[in-house]
This record gives sequence, C-alpha cells and structure tokens, in this order.
Amino acid sequence: MDSAIETVDQSLASKEVVLTVDQVSKKFCRSLKRSLMYGIQDIGSEILGLGRHSDTLRKGEFWALQQVSLTLNKGEALGLVGSNGSGKTTLLRIISGLIKPDTGNVKVKGHVAPLIALGAGFNPVLTGRENIYANMSILGLSNREIHQQFDQVVDFAEIGEAIDAPVHSYSSGMAARLGFACAVHAKPNILLIDEVLAVGDVKFRLKCDRKLRELKDQGTSFILVSHNAYTILAICSSAIYLKKGEALFWGDTHTAMQRYEEDLFIQDSQKITGQFFRSEKDLKNSNGLDITGLFFREDGHILETSPFSGQSIDFCIRCRVREAISRVSVRIAIRDLSQEEGDPLLFFNSYDDQVYLDLPAGEHEVRVRMLYLGLGMGTYTMRVFVAQGDPPAYTLDRVDYFRFAVRKQPGQGKAQFYQPHSWSLQSEQ
Amino acid sequence: MPKPDSPLPEVVYTPDSRLQHPLALLKAMGQDLLASRELAWRLMVRDMSAQYRQSLLGFAWAFVPPIVTAIGLTLANNANVLNVGVTELPYPAYVMFSVSLWQTFTEALTGPLQAITTAKPMLVRINFPREAIILSKLGQIFVNFGIKLILIVGLFIWFKISVPWTIVLAPVALIHLIALGTGIGLILAPIGGLYEDVSKGLTLLIGIWLFFTPVIFPVPQSGLFATLVQLNPVTPLLVSARDLATVGMVPDSTHFGIASLLAIASLLLGWLIYRLSLPFVIERMSA
Repeated sequence: MDSAIETVDQSLASKEVVLTVDQVSKKFCRSLKRSLMYGIQDIGSEILGLGRHSDTLRKGEFWALQQVSLTLNKGEALGLVGSNGSGKTTLLRIISGLIKPDTGNVKVKGHVAPLIALGAGFNPVLTGRENIYANMSILGLSNREIHQQFDQVVDFAEIGEAIDAPVHSYSSGMAARLGFACAVHAKPNILLIDEVLAVGDVKFRLKCDRKLRELKDQGTSFILVSHNAYTILAICSSAIYLKKGEALFWGDTHTAMQRYEEDLFIQDSQKITGQFFRSEKDLKNSNGLDITGLFFREDGHILETSPFSGQSIDFCIRCRVREAISRVSVRIAIRDLSQEEGDPLLFFNSYDDQVYLDLPAGEHEVRVRMLYLGLGMGTYTMRVFVAQGDPPAYTLDRVDYFRFAVRKQPGQGKAQFYQPHSWSLQSEQ
Repeated sequence: MPKPDSPLPEVVYTPDSRLQHPLALLKAMGQDLLASRELAWRLMVRDMSAQYRQSLLGFAWAFVPPIVTAIGLTLANNANVLNVGVTELPYPAYVMFSVSLWQTFTEALTGPLQAITTAKPMLVRINFPREAIILSKLGQIFVNFGIKLILIVGLFIWFKISVPWTIVLAPVALIHLIALGTGIGLILAPIGGLYEDVSKGLTLLIGIWLFFTPVIFPVPQSGLFATLVQLNPVTPLLVSARDLATVGMVPDSTHFGIASLLAIASLLLGWLIYRLSLPFVIERMSA
C-alpha cells in the first residue's frame, strides 16, 4: 500500500463520519420463556410488515440500552466503558447489524469487523491454514485477498510451523493470536474490539497495540471496550461511559474513565457522604461518653464530600461527655469495604501513641491529623472505639460501621496507596 | 479494505420492518446471495473436511445408511414381511434410488435449522451474508447425493437396467424436490432457532411423512391412502425424478407442475422469512 497516498487521503477525509448512532435503545427480557414468546411476536410483525411498537416496554422487559447517541469519524478511536451489563456489547452488536435497534437508527459507512469474535468459526479439527481461509471469508474477504494477506497473518500470529497442525493442538494464546491476526488483517473500516486485547503475553500485547495504532493511522476507526484503563487511555481520544444502558458521559477519555472508576470503586456514591451523625444516648444506655459524629475537616471546615487521596485532612470524632472522665483513648481501624476480617489497612490507637485525653463534661471533638491521606480511591469502612483505662479496657462507646469513600483528583493515577513525594534533579557537569 | 477511491457502502439499521422498503430489501437479498458464493464454498469445504477428518469411515458414511436401509427392506420384501407389490425396477434398485431421493429431501428439510444451530457462534458475533450457511448446506446435500449416485449407478449396471433419454430431465425434478425441502426448512428454521420443539417435531414429521410418500412402496392406485399419497407434494416430485431416470416419463404432469410451483414459492417465501427473522432469532439466542 502506498503510504503517501494514504496519508493525503486521510487528511482530506479526516472529518468524514463513518458511524452515526442516533438515539438507539434496545430492550431485553430477563425471563427466557417470555423472551422467546416476544421473539416470535417480533418475527411475526416483521414478516407481516407491521409496526412492532418497539418503543414501548412489554411485561417483564427493561431497557438494556437507552437513547444512546454517538458519532465516529474516520481514523478515530472511541472507548466504551462501563461495568458488566451496562450495554456495551449490546451496542456493539447493534452497530455490527447483528440485532435490530428498538428505537433510533444506526448509519454505518464501510465494512465493520467485530473483534468480539476472536476466531469465531474456528474449527478445532482443521489446520490453522484452513481456519485462516474460513475465518477471513466470514469476515468478508475474497479468496484472492486472503491469499495476498496469508503470509502476513501467519507472521503476525507467530504461529510458524504449527500452521499445518489442527487448531485444537494450539495453546489458547496461539488460537487467540491467530484470531486477532485474522481480524486486523481483514482491514475493516470500523473495528469493534470487545475485551480481547488481553490475549497473549506482554510482547504480543505490545504488538497488538502497535498494529492498532498503525491501522488507525491508515484510517481505520475503532470502538474499543476494555476494563483496562491504560488500553483505553492509550488508544482512544474520546470515550463513552455507559451505566445501566444509559450514556452518562461522552467526551474526553480521562473524564469518562474518572466517572467510571468513581462509580465502580465508590458504590452508592450519593449515599456515602463521609459524614456520620447520631444523637446522644439516653442515660440508661450511655457509658458516660457518646460519639455523636464522625467526619473530616480540611483547614478547619467540615468536608461535605468525600476526601481526596493525598489530601491534608483531620478526621474528627465528636462526642458528648456527661461527667468528667480521665485517661480516655481512641482506637480507629480502617478496612477496605470488601475486607471483613484480617489486619486493617490503617490502624491508629492513641494509647499506642501515649496520648491520653482527660475530658471534662461537655461537647468535645477529637481530631486525628493526617498530613496526607494515604488511602487510594475506593470505599472503606471504619471502626471507632473510645475506651478508658490503662490499658484501655472499658469501652465507653463505639461505631462499628462508618462507611466513607476516598476520591482521586483529576489527573491523579489510580493507585491503592498515596505516597507523599517530591521530585528533584541532580546533574553532574 | 479501506479503498480510498471507491465510496464506502452505507447501511442504515432502523427498528422498522424491512418489508416497508421492499425494493431495498430485494436488492440487499440479491447482493448478499451473490456475495455469499465464495463464503458458502469455504464453509462447505470446511464443514465437509472437518466432518470426514474426524471419522474412520470418512465418505463411506454418505452411502452406508442407504445401503443398510436397502438391504433391510429387500430382505423384508423377499421374506414377504413387507408386501409392497410390483415395482417397475428390481426392488433393491428401486428402494435404493427412492431412499436416496427421500434422504436428500429430508436433508434439505432439516438443513436450514441445522445450519443455524451449528453456525450459532458465528451468527451471534459476525454479520456475514446469512445466505452463505444455507448455500453451503445445499452444496453438501448435492455432494452427498452425488456420492449416493455412484452406488445407484452401480446397482443399475448390476441389474442391467437401461436408462431412457429423459434422465437428463431428472435433475430438474430433483432440484424442485430439494427446493421444496429447503423452502419448508427455511420457513420453520427461525422458530426452530428459538424453540427446541421444532427440531423434535421435525423428526417426528419426517417419520410420518415417509409413510405417505412412495419411497419403499410403489404409488398406490386406489383408496383413501392413494388420495393422501397424491396430496403429498413430495410424491409427484420424487416419483418424477425417479421415473424420468428409469421409466422415461412424468407420470402425472399436472401434479408435478403444481408441486413444482409450490416448491419454488416455498423456497422464495422461506428465504424472505429466514432473512427477516434472523436478527430476532440471534437476539434471543444469545440472551
């Protein structure tokens, strides 16, 4: 292929739209029995040429995809992120024309190759050679075109001698490589990639990334579905965040990933405020000290939202003391939300730090200063004990389950732990 | 391939029934049929080589079943267990030829549903011309019949049966027979893709259907049974294919004409139904 011509052509047509998805919805039904019945119903109205009222839900149906719109230009890569069941694959299947949308429409220009289908149509009994021919035929190439590409495919897949061995003797990595090689050498105009870049070893993955970038430069457009933030960030210039079938965000990749990861790691982010308040106990149940609030402060102001990883904050325990108590100590244990038992991630004990509090009657606020919040983005639970004595044997009050979330700042890499650090350069001349 | 010069073909997917744009539908059907030839050939080669590679007897499987059936029926006939009356040909040749034709019909009948079932992993992932798997299946049916034909020719030579010139017309009847089977198969296939009942029912239907088709017995001449056999659209097609190759005439050209029209009509209708309903089947298959 003449690369100079390709480049010129691409710059001329750089704004050429190859795919338009306009207000597309799709409904599904969870009950198999009903789903099959609706299938027959739909087939019936399709064959009779009737409208099938696809824009209204029937009993037991729900929207698997709701009013999703997007456009894709030539040579552009679009990321699709969202948790399992958010409708990513459904969207790809509508775009490739496998299933019909229930509302809206999809306009596709050119040939679409789905990489959802690594090695679809591979027959384990047949040799790699025979399977390449079959697979690439399915992807829409003529015999002549396959013949021309054949050596490149074998080369790329690094199959070598094994090309004439039956595919069932291949390792899973080899089969996946062969499938990937077939798909990228089918030279489609739009390539739909669904979670398949995780095949093979690191070396092959890098090769895949290179190949994809090369295709992109040649004018192939992509839609990429991946849970791996780096893959999306490396290849895609924009991304869509799907949640429960709705496109919550469409724009730059960083923001989309940020929204996705926040939702993924911070469950029910609306419910978790990072604050906890309760009224004091009645006399009968009180041990003399009642915890009435748990929250964070930054520069003395109470934080209304979740703190950032690495933020300089105070954790505050507000309590009400009925009669003066001496030798009070506070214990705090923080665990990951998913972690029930075992050593906590963080543990503070004022007793270990030889800090004792003598509290007169009244309202108090105990503050733990954290110069840098070391926790990474996520959801955590905290246990707080307030005890008296030396050693602190007598529990005055406790909170067993304070849920809070930690966010990350835009531009901050996702990590489990925040390490305060600084950079410097020392050069010798 | 991204070809810079040729404008890219544009496809639009909408929720509306494609019957509302019949011209576009017909055009797409024609295009896909043309586009699927090479793929159909590939798939056929793939399926047949895979099928015979993992078997010791290989291609023998194409003729073992009719031989076994023919031997069994001949024995039964000779022992007077089965009283089929007089056939124009020596019974072994008659039954072998008829059974081969019947089997070709049933292969055509079950072909589309089988094609959908085996190609399911491909169907739910790649949008290739859906006609290809049907064409590939038809190709396999012809190849299977060709193999059986070798056997039939052998029997004809053995029994020194002379063939009339009309044998050159026999393939027309055979093609109509396959068209009828494929047509009915295509009409049933989409529902069969959703409900298991269809494939089970089809097996049952084939068993019953055989009784009303002059395969192991000659065409009955009178009585209620004769009427039923004559109403069966397979009868004129199968009998014509057989008689054109042996007796040298079409026994009942009116019935043959009606059955042929029915065959062509069902094939076209089946194709349309198959094409229109497959997206809905795929949607539910993977769900």
